[in-house]
Amino acid sequence: MMPINPFSFTLAAMILWAVGMFFFMIAGEKRSLKVLAHSSYLTGIAVLVVFMWLLWDILERPPMRTLGETRLWYAMFLPVIGYATYLRWDYKWILHYSGFVAIVFLSINLIYPDNYDRDLMPALQSVWFIPHVIVYIFAYALLAASAIVAVKGLLIHFFNWKMSWNMQLADNLVYLGLGFLTLGLLFGALWGKEAWGHYWMWDPKETWAFLTWIGYLAYIHFRYHKPKMEQTAMWILAIAFIILLIAWFGVNYLPSAANSVHTYSS
Amino acid sequence: METRRKKLIWVSPWGYTEGWLLCAGLLITGLLLQLTIGGLSSGALSWPINIIFATTFTVALVIGWVFFKKNNMINWLSRVPAAITSIVFVTFLVLIMGFTLQVDSENPVWVQKLGLSNMTNSWPFLFGIVFFLAALGMATLKRITPFKGRNIGFFLNHAGLYIAILAGIAGAPDLKRLTMELHHDSIVWVSMDRQGHLYEMPLAMQLVSFNMEEYNPKVAIIESRTGRIVPEGLKDIFEISKGNVGSILDWQVEVKEFYSLSGRFGERFEPVMDWGAAPAALMKVTDPDGNITEGWITCGSFMYPHQLLELDDNLSLAMTIPQASHYSSDVIIYTEDGDVIETRIEVNKPVSAQGWKLYQYSYDDRFGRYSSTSIIEAIRDPWLPVVYTGIFMLIAGSVYLMTLGKAPENQEGDLS
Repeated sequence: MMPINPFSFTLAAMILWAVGMFFFMIAGEKRSLKVLAHSSYLTGIAVLVVFMWLLWDILERPPMRTLGETRLWYAMFLPVIGYATYLRWDYKWILHYSGFVAIVFLSINLIYPDNYDRDLMPALQSVWFIPHVIVYIFAYALLAASAIVAVKGLLIHFFNWKMSWNMQLADNLVYLGLGFLTLGLLFGALWGKEAWGHYWMWDPKETWAFLTWIGYLAYIHFRYHKPKMEQTAMWILAIAFIILLIAWFGVNYLPSAANSVHTYSS
Repeated sequence: METRRKKLIWVSPWGYTEGWLLCAGLLITGLLLQLTIGGLSSGALSWPINIIFATTFTVALVIGWVFFKKNNMINWLSRVPAAITSIVFVTFLVLIMGFTLQVDSENPVWVQKLGLSNMTNSWPFLFGIVFFLAALGMATLKRITPFKGRNIGFFLNHAGLYIAILAGIAGAPDLKRLTMELHHDSIVWVSMDRQGHLYEMPLAMQLVSFNMEEYNPKVAIIESRTGRIVPEGLKDIFEISKGNVGSILDWQVEVKEFYSLSGRFGERFEPVMDWGAAPAALMKVTDPDGNITEGWITCGSFMYPHQLLELDDNLSLAMTIPQASHYSSDVIIYTEDGDVIETRIEVNKPVSAQGWKLYQYSYDDRFGRYSSTSIIEAIRDPWLPVVYTGIFMLIAGSVYLMTLGKAPENQEGDLS
């Protein structure tokens, strides 16, 4: 009963990103191709933004309730971060990476289409709901980008690729990502007090959110203390991201989370 | 350049090895305590013991730093190896917690004995947090003496975390969470904790009305015999509202009429406002061959039975039970000070009175919107302002953290 077709919006965004990435790859110094690349990539983001805006309007609630809906936000933020990183520091590969991951996430939504409905349980109807989720998903997207920097670094080392390497990008992304992660966590605490009566209850999702947070804390301190030991740092980043993924959607499947207030509804 | 040489342990300056050994020592001691004298009881350190502990601990850190900063251990606590080893220790314990359902009765005896299913009240966890806080506190003291303006971000993050965690842990025994069961027109001043103990409250409450609004129900295809929703049709479920059409499995489904509150009159339903009234919808279903069936469906209520529309021998069209969109209680609160407050307590909108925060907690779900019972949770957390101080310092600190990345430290433009 949707007046819009989620499938076509999702597919359009995916195709636009793919086309954009293709032009970025072959553009070289050709100005016209560069313009095509930029506009296609950005239009992809715009299409998704419009889709989410319509969805919000139709559902009369923020589209953040189901796991599939959080994937939409992730798939929107990641190319934004990739594009900004590209503009700011000129890393083209991160543009490709974030486009690729966004496409993968949207494909999951195409394969398992959400049944969008308006229901939103009263506890979620809070001014904190939107900042909590957006800030979190934005942090996730930044930290995903940092994880891929780490994985690339590990691969370079493992296969002895002749590429210069430097952890500054990972550091920058983690500082930014951890900042947002901290905000998300604390917004959640303030909301928890208003909705459930306490700011921290060691709910399984909170437990895993804490683990994620402290993992990146370990990374920052380790980088500060042992800046030369880049490989260990990259491993910490990769592991921290696995914990993040468990916190994001693994918790839904953990037996220890049977009583969580944080499981996504479907 | 650093040269790697073999360093004897427990010789100045301590590093990671000493940290790991300390973690092992704390873990073993903690587990032994756990096995011999059992876990910590959550109420043991209530006021004023907790404030004494928290103050003594903090003062001890300050004295330690001011007078004994040359001491191996004090000096080590203020540096990164202690931070990282304590972070890893806490992470290790919380990781166990993340994989273990934190309910004693759901776990094997050995897990219970080691305190792993009640981690936050276990000795290893307490030791881990104390180690973590000691390192955090010492690092803060080191950085703020003497205080320089550029260390403000560091201070906000580290001191904020120290304050939030210390106050959160120390204040936990003082947190009171009690429920009050309200009924229409009777005044209640007794509350109950999770263990069923009763308490007299400094305020009394009376339920004037319990209010609930609901979303429209949805239409689904179920197996007539089991009542289970047919899984393949799950994604096609749609909201019932007059004029809505959709297709579920192979059927075209249209909502011809919908009343959110109705009563049965012979073969049909009409809108009524009676006690126990239930939603009902007139549905029109077209099968793949073009045959049309029409009929009423209702999910029923505690007073009226549900009604399905049969599609074939196995399947029927059914209405789901509507979900609550809002619920709240209109109450009158009488405080010890003699105030009479008429107010509404709603989910996400608690009300404060006499030092207590009152939350809409629950209702009698057998009756749903017709519940004449409303359960209000009364919460008192005297440490909250302290914890919030820490939280707001951390919020400011996290903004500082975001600006760190811009500083290009010794970068030579060799970015790939």
